Amino acid sequence: MSAPVVAVQGEPANELLRLDNLKVHFPVKLPFIQRLLQREEAVVHAVDGVSFGIRAGEILGLVGESGCGKSTVGRSCVRLIKPTSGRIFFAGQNITKLGGENLRALRRRIQIIFQDPHASLTPAMTIGRGIGHPLWIHRSAFGPQKSGSEAFGQWVRQRVLNTMREVGLTPEEQLYDKFPGDLSGGQKQRAVIARALILEPNLLVVDEGVSMLDMSIRAKVLELMLDLKRRHGLTYLFITHDLATAKFICDRIAIMYMGRIVEIGPAREIYADPKHPYTKALLQVIPIPDPDKRKEKVLPRGEVPDAVHPPAGCRFHPRCPAVLATCGWEGRDFVDFLDEHLSDPKRAGDDESIVGPIEGWHADGLVASLEAKPMSVEKAVERVETILAEAPVAMTQAIESVSAQKRTVMVRFHPPNQLRQTQVQDRLVECLLYQ
Amino acid sequence: MRKGETLGVVGETGCGKSTLGKAILGILPVGTQVEGKILFRGRDLTMLTNQMYRRLRGEEIALIFQDPMTRLNPLMTVQDHFIEEIQAHEPVSSTEARTRAREALISMGIHEARIRNYPHEFSGGMRQRIMIALALVLKPSLLIADEPTTSLDVIVEAQILEILQDLKQAYSMSLLLITHNLGIVAEVCDRVAVLYAGKLVELGSVRDIFHKPLHPYTQGLLSSIIHLETKELHSIEGSPPDLIAPPSGCRFHPRCSFAQSICMEKVPPLVEFEPGHFAACHFGDKFL
Repeated sequence: MSAPVVAVQGEPANELLRLDNLKVHFPVKLPFIQRLLQREEAVVHAVDGVSFGIRAGEILGLVGESGCGKSTVGRSCVRLIKPTSGRIFFAGQNITKLGGENLRALRRRIQIIFQDPHASLTPAMTIGRGIGHPLWIHRSAFGPQKSGSEAFGQWVRQRVLNTMREVGLTPEEQLYDKFPGDLSGGQKQRAVIARALILEPNLLVVDEGVSMLDMSIRAKVLELMLDLKRRHGLTYLFITHDLATAKFICDRIAIMYMGRIVEIGPAREIYADPKHPYTKALLQVIPIPDPDKRKEKVLPRGEVPDAVHPPAGCRFHPRCPAVLATCGWEGRDFVDFLDEHLSDPKRAGDDESIVGPIEGWHADGLVASLEAKPMSVEKAVERVETILAEAPVAMTQAIESVSAQKRTVMVRFHPPNQLRQTQVQDRLVECLLYQ
Repeated sequence: MRKGETLGVVGETGCGKSTLGKAILGILPVGTQVEGKILFRGRDLTMLTNQMYRRLRGEEIALIFQDPMTRLNPLMTVQDHFIEEIQAHEPVSSTEARTRAREALISMGIHEARIRNYPHEFSGGMRQRIMIALALVLKPSLLIADEPTTSLDVIVEAQILEILQDLKQAYSMSLLLITHNLGIVAEVCDRVAVLYAGKLVELGSVRDIFHKPLHPYTQGLLSSIIHLETKELHSIEGSPPDLIAPPSGCRFHPRCSFAQSICMEKVPPLVEFEPGHFAACHFGDKFL
């Protein structure tokens, strides 16, 4: 498997945050015996070479399905997760390995908002105390004369009340002593936003910050975020699976799939004319709230594959409606296709008795092989070729040979083309169609 | 609900839409007070004994829940789920039940060899397809789907909705789709019921609801959808009421910009403002 090459970009001067080839791999916990037998360490390739920058004052949308690594990118930016490799710059400073007091100081400048406002608030802390808590944690930064004194407590309270008013958590005097359980979902999310703002950060990472809110209040919270951006010159990394919300709020959009950014550029252009087939698919499935505009959809096949063993070449190729012969076809794609073929008795006929049970097939890199020793290897090769007539054209074109070696049937694929991020108009796309 | 139709039940968190689905199936918590009637093919379901209800569930009315992971028993293989369900209703052998389970899985695009797998060995979308196969294996005439795609990714959501549509036609089944997602309703439903704070506030064809909403709540809900053509954000002031002490009169009046004094005093009846289009608003005719 060849790793996609990352395009090297210039660094605009006004960038607040820059990720440079960020990788985050999580080890898979295996039982002891399996760990011994494993040839290489199994890791989840959550983020696998992500580079982008966010300019000061801009909202960058990071969009993708669950498990694509978007939240891991967000958490890495706040340094809640240690990157496996790559570098993170904040305001020109390399923060990848920051620790101790320096990391604490960084957290005053980058804050994060999570999806579930209920889980984000400590149930035993009143709203006022919860919002003011970061000020106590960072009290040394607000002058030694204030720290610990009664005056500091007064100052915190005043600042909390002001922030509550600013995020629309009113009447603030009354809500100050309430507990999270007394508040509605929208109010709780406002409290979470207030807590994130109280340290006056420069960058806010919003991880699905409105997804759990009901439609009728979602708009209000989005408006609040836009409003705060205007008033404080905030910069946002807005992580969401909802392309419609992202369209409304974001200046630029990055589309993520299986740990890679497949398309990134100005929001307006990406929505008007998506380039990557995955972006197209995502845009197409957004329901249109008008019964007169129902239309047939061409949906990608299947689901997101296992991130422990991501597909070769372009990771979207097994599901891509526009896939080419060079996109990364490999042995297991053939096994998957055969599995699907054999699972339909009408199409399969007696195929299973000739090409063997699906469990007999093994995929190793570019090769799929049947070691189950079928009755007649020649007949099996012949039948595999017949079955392949039904396969996606791109896949059949990618096959180098179907052969019999000793008593093993082998399907061998051509190696994929090297994938590079390519400049297409104002954006970067990682797709062979544009290379 | 008519035979073969898809009725969407929409509303926000806590409006009672899931309770409605559970009430139809008689699976509300013990001690819940239920008034009124649920007529299914002329029979009042609230009068059924527990035993009669057990026969009806699965066989005539089936349910798919939101989260497919927690609804499949992690200690049972897929085939055990099917055998248990089929044998609870029909006196058939395990072999016969297994054959039917295989057919059901194949119709959902899942390889029959995987019938011996456990739920955790399947992806989210596959689990939901297994749930659907389980719900349909006894060929019910009504399927209640409670947020069937909410925990799924957008592309898989579209795939599952497509499957539901196809099956509905193939089995000439009726579908009660409970959802908070109005976009999905516009794409798959024939008629729509809008719930607010435990009350039915509007009922009509999907075109009536989306093009000529009569209730101010429906109007607010529609304008708050964020979709690709959204130019301006709208929302409804306030938040849904506490159902322990709901507002007097029309339950929406504290959030309604058209509210008059009558709205605080009198509960608006559900009125048919035009053929097939009902709304519970004192001023529904203003929006005709």
